[in-house]
Amino acid sequence: MNRAILRISLACLAMFVLLLLNVNYVQAFESSKLAGEPGNIRVFDQQFTYQRGSIIANGDGTDLKIAESRPVKGTDTYRRYYPFGKVYAPVTGYNTIYGNSGIEEAENSLLAGTSPKLTVHNFTALLTGKQKQGATVELTISPAAQQAAYQALLNDGGHQAGVVALNPTTGAVLALASDPTFNPNELTSLNGSTVDRNDKQLLSEPSQPLLNRAISVTFPPGSSFKIVTSSAAFTKGLVKNTASTVYAPTVLTLPNGNHLINDGGEVCGNGRPQIIQAFWMSCNTAFGNLGKVMGAPYLRSTSSRFGMNAPLSIPLPVVPSVMPNKPKYWTDPSLTAFSAIGQFNDEVTPMQEAMFSAAIANSGRLMKPYLVQQVLGPGLSSIESATPTTLSQAVSPTVAGYVKSMMYQVTHNPGGTAALTAGPAQADGINIYGKTGTAQNGVDNGNLDDAVFTCFVPAQPGAPAPIAVGVMVKGGGFGADAAAPIAVAVIKAYEHAHDT
Amino acid sequence: MSLAAEVSQPVPMPQNRRRSELIMLLFALVITFFAYASVGLGLKGAVPPGLPVDLIVFAVAMLAAHLAIRRYAPYADPLILPLAALLNGLGIVMIYRLQESGRNGNPGLQVTVMSTSATSFQVMYAAIGVLCLVAVLVLISEARVLQRYTYTLGAVGLVLLAIPALLPDSLSSVNGAKVWIIVGRFSIQPGEFARLALAVFFAGYLVAKRDVLSLAGRRFLGIDLPRARDLGPVLIAWAASLLILIFETDIGTAALFFGMFVVMLYLATQRTSWLLIGVLLFLFGTFITANLSSHVMERFTVWLHPFAGSNPTGIAYQPVQALEGMAFGGLFGTGLGQGQPYHTPLVQSDFIISAFGEELGLVGLMALLIVFGLLVQRGLRAALAVKDPFAKLLIGGLSFVLALQVFVIVGGVSGLIPLTGVTTPFLSEGGSSLVASWILVGLLIRVSDSARGPAPQPIQDEGMTQVVRAA
Repeated sequence: MNRAILRISLACLAMFVLLLLNVNYVQAFESSKLAGEPGNIRVFDQQFTYQRGSIIANGDGTDLKIAESRPVKGTDTYRRYYPFGKVYAPVTGYNTIYGNSGIEEAENSLLAGTSPKLTVHNFTALLTGKQKQGATVELTISPAAQQAAYQALLNDGGHQAGVVALNPTTGAVLALASDPTFNPNELTSLNGSTVDRNDKQLLSEPSQPLLNRAISVTFPPGSSFKIVTSSAAFTKGLVKNTASTVYAPTVLTLPNGNHLINDGGEVCGNGRPQIIQAFWMSCNTAFGNLGKVMGAPYLRSTSSRFGMNAPLSIPLPVVPSVMPNKPKYWTDPSLTAFSAIGQFNDEVTPMQEAMFSAAIANSGRLMKPYLVQQVLGPGLSSIESATPTTLSQAVSPTVAGYVKSMMYQVTHNPGGTAALTAGPAQADGINIYGKTGTAQNGVDNGNLDDAVFTCFVPAQPGAPAPIAVGVMVKGGGFGADAAAPIAVAVIKAYEHAHDT
Repeated sequence: MSLAAEVSQPVPMPQNRRRSELIMLLFALVITFFAYASVGLGLKGAVPPGLPVDLIVFAVAMLAAHLAIRRYAPYADPLILPLAALLNGLGIVMIYRLQESGRNGNPGLQVTVMSTSATSFQVMYAAIGVLCLVAVLVLISEARVLQRYTYTLGAVGLVLLAIPALLPDSLSSVNGAKVWIIVGRFSIQPGEFARLALAVFFAGYLVAKRDVLSLAGRRFLGIDLPRARDLGPVLIAWAASLLILIFETDIGTAALFFGMFVVMLYLATQRTSWLLIGVLLFLFGTFITANLSSHVMERFTVWLHPFAGSNPTGIAYQPVQALEGMAFGGLFGTGLGQGQPYHTPLVQSDFIISAFGEELGLVGLMALLIVFGLLVQRGLRAALAVKDPFAKLLIGGLSFVLALQVFVIVGGVSGLIPLTGVTTPFLSEGGSSLVASWILVGLLIRVSDSARGPAPQPIQDEGMTQVVRAA
């Protein structure tokens, strides 16, 4: 019987070895993953018992703390504090006892110190008896641009609006503002019922202050979409260069019998203007006709190269800007004429507007927008840092050059739609290239027009620092009047801070 | 050298090692003492007020067990009692920690299903367990004595097993497991004792029938299959465990019961074919019940996809809490009293091992597993060394089922295998399991005493015929 007992002993040994391996797996190898499971009560409960990492805005070259955890007097807990209240709320989001949003959510595992990248740091802290600490997240945000964007939106008369500013050369997000917004300090109480009450209050407000209009809401792009339409026309060879003439009647009759007219029914040059003039005047008939001729699929593929029709993570989730390939009749040329001037089903975010300009400013190369410059461990050693990456080559450098010179005329030609609002910045040595948009919307275009402006300052030696800005103001009216001044304010503040 | 010269040499007496046992037992008591104190220090920075009474009663019980072993089983393995005492002591410490959570101004949430005197009761059960151990040592002078009661204990075992199934739910069901006998404020789990009784029955039955059972029938794929008519007992055991599974919705007990039977059958006959048949029958039974019962199917879902969809807040809430707790403990644990084991439902019984994982860390959990492993190993050693085939079979089977029980519950809690509810020996809150575990320790000690003790001495020296003292 002893031989059988020995074999059973081996079976027992095997069972214990399996158990030992498995608990090693759970407690040593899987522990970070399990700590990151959504709804992990323990990790959540203890996150306020040690110092969460700070969030820093470094876009102007110096560190500015925009979120930090401060010890609560008389307890061993920490409470999140946002020194600038509403200004950075669309970027940082909130860190509450119930959940996070914004960067607080996207970078939570690093800020909370649970990320596997911090395992070594945490282990050293454990051995040396130091307190566990989260990592510091350094953002690309420029405090000057962000503050200006916030102020400009505050003074725009209570419209819902979003602003995004990018560095076109790298993709770094310089400003990201939304109006109306909220004060994250109202949600950081460690008292659940206070958080609940304030959260309910914010959720019940009709203006939806928690909604991030810079990246989570789409608007019709209106005429700003003519950047895409003209890029497509140049690329396809339909229009040779900026001096080529285009068909631009006062009334364009569409195959289905509908009519497309210019804003206010005005005449576009002599009816066959150069494309550059049609662009600075923003003639609907010229670009509607180009769109109709090129067809919806071609126009849509160009829009995709500008970053549309795909989700984006910066790492905040950006809702996709779309030129939908639904419903089934989306290729109907009569409707494509409207798509080509940013109407029909086109929907974009302010982020996308900034990306249109950023691609043109950077010789057609669209850089992937990103917010996190680097992450610093508790010892302030860099754990990860961003490298600019190309999202796509939207257009060739030649085509980008054509569109760029057209955008120059929008702000500099006396007949350009933004000549009066964005042009004067030239006096400060800042040359802004832009495109206005005024999108009709609502049933039978019954709502107030949405104002859109996308613009950039290109990278040039000896010239002001490059920046691309997208602004959308819901119900703001004419793009050049409502949206362009906001963009100009952001650019001026940014250039002032970067004046060398 | 003549034969006479050899005989005249003094026969080396086996060492009884009682002093080693005492030193190791004191070591176990000291660990328990510090662990108990550190719970209070971890919770609110003071030594628990209940510590002196609880630990004095516990220490007295353990020392009494030691003295009884000195008197009634002087050659027993010196490691068994200290190992069991350490496990029991740490179990009491963890039960105190969970009982105090959120009570008496301590941090954390209350484990509301625990009474405020859970620790005192657990200490009392430890004392009762030791009384039973002493009774085993006194009444059973040799394992063979039990062999006389083979069929009596078999019947007792089956009745104990069946009672909860026959009683109405109000007197037998707690948290969906119909394995209890509830009398007023007290409840016992007869299955824990049934397992011991049935082990005796299997050992007695198999020792008697093992020659028949090891007769080979046909040879198939290089394996000797048993004769069809000898399949009867294994089929009965299989059917009985399936009945437990269906009527008491207790997969764990069924698995332990069937596993013990198959292994003892294998030990008795040394035929691998019995193991294969047993495993196949078990898989077949699981397959059938998994398809018949949504309860069993759900266990599989929870095991495979604990984090899928709404499982973490729904059907997998308990195992997910246990896993997250263990992960939260990491390598070194949060320290006693400083974790959050109270988030896991039933953490004081089936899931107590996750609380150890959380507060003592991977290191502490591995130490606990090794203590269990050593206990099993000491049992198997005794089984190897003892000469009486009945004792061999009984202790071999019981040691295996102890290992299997630890495997089933720790493996279930840590996600290695589907979760089935069985108690963690010595650690879980509750008297039945603890007292039954101490009876098991009594049997181990009794058999290891026979195995290590001096060989029977001739009582007269009269040539070739010897009269040997039988027990």
